[in-house]
Amino acid sequence: MIRHFPTIRLLPEGVVFLTDTATLVLADVHLGKSAAFRAKGLPVPEGDSARDFQRLLELSARHHAAELVIAGDLFHAPSGITPELEGALGEFLESIGIPVTLVIGNHDSGVSNLGVKLRAVPHLDLGYRVRVIHDPAHASGDLMHLSGHWHPVVRIPDGKRTSLRLPCFLLRGNTLVMPAFGSFTGGAIIRPEVGDRIFVALRDEVIELPDRLIG
Amino acid sequence: MSRSPLQPFFDAKGWRPFDFQKEVWEAYLSGKSGLLHAPTGQGKTLAVYLGPLVESMGDGGGCRVLWLTPLRALAADTLRALREPLEVLAPGKEAEARTGDTPTALRARLRKKLPHTLVTTPESLSLMLTHGEFAEKLAGLRCVIVDEWHELLGTKRGVQTELCLSRLRAWFPGVRIWGLSATLGNLTDARRALMGSAFEGSVEVTADLKKPIVIETLIPREMDRFPWSGHIGTRLVGQVADEIEKAQVTLLFTNTRSQTEIWFQELCAVRPKWKEQMAMHHGSLDRAERDHAENGLRDGSLKCVVATSSLDLGVDFSPVDQVIQVGSPKGVARLLQRAGRSGHQPGSVSRILGVPTHAMELVEFAAARDAALARNVESRVPLRKPLDLLVQHLVTCAIGAPFEADMMRREIESCDAFVGLTDEEWHWALGFISNGGAALAAYPRYQKARIEEGRYIVDDKRLILQHRLSIGTISSDPAVSIKFANGHTLGTVEESFISKIKPGSSLVFAGKQLTLVRFHQRTATVKLSTRKTKGQVAIWGGSKMPLSSELSHAMALRLQGYGDPVVEMKAVEPILAIQRRWSRVPSDEVLLVEHARSREGEHLFFYPFAGRLVHEGLAALVAFRISRESGVAIHTTQNDYGFSLTAQRGLVLDEEEIRFYLREEGLLDDLLECMNTAELARRQFREIARVSGLILQTPPGQKNRSQRELQSSASLLYEVLHRYDPGNLLLLQSQREILEKQLELTRLTEVIRRLHGIPMHLVETANLTPMAFPLWADRLSATLPAGDAASRLEIMLASLNTAADSIRNHTEA
Repeated sequence: MIRHFPTIRLLPEGVVFLTDTATLVLADVHLGKSAAFRAKGLPVPEGDSARDFQRLLELSARHHAAELVIAGDLFHAPSGITPELEGALGEFLESIGIPVTLVIGNHDSGVSNLGVKLRAVPHLDLGYRVRVIHDPAHASGDLMHLSGHWHPVVRIPDGKRTSLRLPCFLLRGNTLVMPAFGSFTGGAIIRPEVGDRIFVALRDEVIELPDRLIG
Repeated sequence: MSRSPLQPFFDAKGWRPFDFQKEVWEAYLSGKSGLLHAPTGQGKTLAVYLGPLVESMGDGGGCRVLWLTPLRALAADTLRALREPLEVLAPGKEAEARTGDTPTALRARLRKKLPHTLVTTPESLSLMLTHGEFAEKLAGLRCVIVDEWHELLGTKRGVQTELCLSRLRAWFPGVRIWGLSATLGNLTDARRALMGSAFEGSVEVTADLKKPIVIETLIPREMDRFPWSGHIGTRLVGQVADEIEKAQVTLLFTNTRSQTEIWFQELCAVRPKWKEQMAMHHGSLDRAERDHAENGLRDGSLKCVVATSSLDLGVDFSPVDQVIQVGSPKGVARLLQRAGRSGHQPGSVSRILGVPTHAMELVEFAAARDAALARNVESRVPLRKPLDLLVQHLVTCAIGAPFEADMMRREIESCDAFVGLTDEEWHWALGFISNGGAALAAYPRYQKARIEEGRYIVDDKRLILQHRLSIGTISSDPAVSIKFANGHTLGTVEESFISKIKPGSSLVFAGKQLTLVRFHQRTATVKLSTRKTKGQVAIWGGSKMPLSSELSHAMALRLQGYGDPVVEMKAVEPILAIQRRWSRVPSDEVLLVEHARSREGEHLFFYPFAGRLVHEGLAALVAFRISRESGVAIHTTQNDYGFSLTAQRGLVLDEEEIRFYLREEGLLDDLLECMNTAELARRQFREIARVSGLILQTPPGQKNRSQRELQSSASLLYEVLHRYDPGNLLLLQSQREILEKQLELTRLTEVIRRLHGIPMHLVETANLTPMAFPLWADRLSATLPAGDAASRLEIMLASLNTAADSIRNHTEA
């Protein structure tokens, strides 16, 4: 068992990579969101879920991942889990060829009725003192927590009455909140607190934002 | 028409009917529809109302007249005006209003039984169309009257009105439609849009009551210290206060809500004793505050009300004897409309006093008077085929009663806005509201309307509720209410403004100095400021309205020296003399281009006199084309008179080169490439997404948990549609709308052609001229963010580093 704190890399795709164990961690995919919209009579086209599966496969291959962990909200709503989506999920799990674990999020209530075999747990400990949870509010103790749920977006004013809004990683205390991964997910603007550290993707890398840029 | 039925009413009033009234009555009674073009005043209401009233005096129960008003705030006053003749001529018959403000009890009563005359808004009428029994309730309808049609024309609400009228025409082929309109440059277009397929045979009646209008300008006492530029311009507040002193009741118009707040503050500061006799009126204020201002104007108990366009329409405020316009009038029709708010007493004159906020506005007021006297008034261009409204209306109809596609298409095409609807557009719209259809293959399992025996039906209760909530096409940014801790509401501001203010900081709103206590969800709690600090004045998005073509042209004529001598031109002459000495005075017969150098590099100033939106487009276009050739970075600014380019080098151009950069060829492609149209279209899409039912509306104050998983933002939807259904016609519509709304593409194209045909004067100037200075001074103001997010972030990081370096260098030195 590894007894040192693992290296946590933030990738520009909005995911976390634990280099020691080659574990990819990400949050809030919201598969089947457009299908859930259509089921309620809102004409939103399909395509988001297929694209997200494709992005996950590419990420996994590029980083030679050994394991994939989803920190909650893999699905959007039970009404969005169509037979087509279940089929695509089965195919995806087969093609990715590595263990996939879902930490159950508040949108994942349909997961118990899935026809596809998917490991689903309330939370997951990863190696030395790192725990994956969905809702940052459930962080406890002095473990390092990887979480999602908030879909954090940072607002950066440019001094000309307009501003940039970028999905971001938010490190608050021992809890890292990851941006939402899904193609059809929105974000919520965070209100930074003293001591927060904020990281955003800039082209091919992730940089930490200087405090003075944050409005 | 026989005069006898009307005699008691006119005798009671001691009035004699005007010729135009008789003309309308006769046309109406001979079965005709039409448009009455008349200035504000009592006469027009009687002209269009008495015909149907007299005709239906002997009828049984049921609704005979539908009166559409663009503003629900006008409903109460309209009702009062209609009840007067109704009580005299047809006692026992009722008139009621049904708008968003109508109490639930009355609404329920109206659902059971409609009154003789129903006053309503386009949105409420749409909503009533979703109730299946509405058609039976309306049986016997004789006339629909559309008030203030010029306000609706050219807007989505106007098209919504056209669609509703097409439904009523289909139900009741004999129904007559009458519109009321203020002066417009294109009255025939206005009538065609209102009448649709019934245009042939309809009439236009003009009430030629030459009501005298006087347009005067407040001339600054210290002209040599009067600014060449600026927007707020409270320098004249002392002189304005003197004018208010002289009048009984003054209505003071400004161009923006922020300016309203500022002028209210400044007037209170110079005349503290008026504090209780002054009020403010703008669209973001709470209803109670607005009522206070309106009642004060009606009974004459207030000395002055500072207002925005929220008081432009309708309502007669007889005691008002002075109207003041602060800042650019922007358009001739607008100035006339505002002037018409005064002088309602018989025999009195409508007068308006213009207050310039900078020197060139003196010329604007002189020009506005020239154009007003020549009755050279702006046109309103009707909208063409807004598909978001079409799909909304189709769902509205399908909820009311199942429809058959071909018949519905004929009905839709009877609207002027949808003449020339293509098969592709029609089938797309039917797919969008039912089950996707061939054009929407990317929408598996989608279903809204069911198709049963060839008829479209929406009968799912949840969908019906959703749709009723989303009817209405006016959209705005998410509004935040401003409240005191005791719950008293002051009004609303845009979220983007309040989210930038920290708790404990001060702001000015509703004429009060406030401190923000907290901002939670959609409520900002405030308290009165104890400190005497100046807070930020609330800023609302809203459009920066460009100067109209008509006014720009009149202004160019004045600058060329045409027209009789007037005080405004005399006052501004010293500044024009400087302009003449250092360069030339611009006009629209010659394109003046100035080149100057400064510490920042080189500047080019162009003066096409085409309004700020067109100048913004031209500036971006020319800058883009020059950069593409030479690679220099160019900064642009614009105002209503011209635009400027600034670069470190590379702006020494000859006439041929400038003409090359202003060419029409490749115009649309270059504009799309340089104007960040993707970003603009994404913003425009918010309104389209709401109207077409892509975004669900939740009633204010209610958090519907079951709907939460259906929330998404317009920009996210735009992305999704763009990626997975790029042929979606709503995306194309949003691009088209943005080109017209943000860039006035049609006008821009005309301006490029005009510039092509006139000579150019290229002048090298040693100093920034009076015309150039405002453009130069504007260079720090906000422009559209250019480039993608990554480049913008890199620029911000770089400027942060430069700033840090300079601090370091200073401390080391």
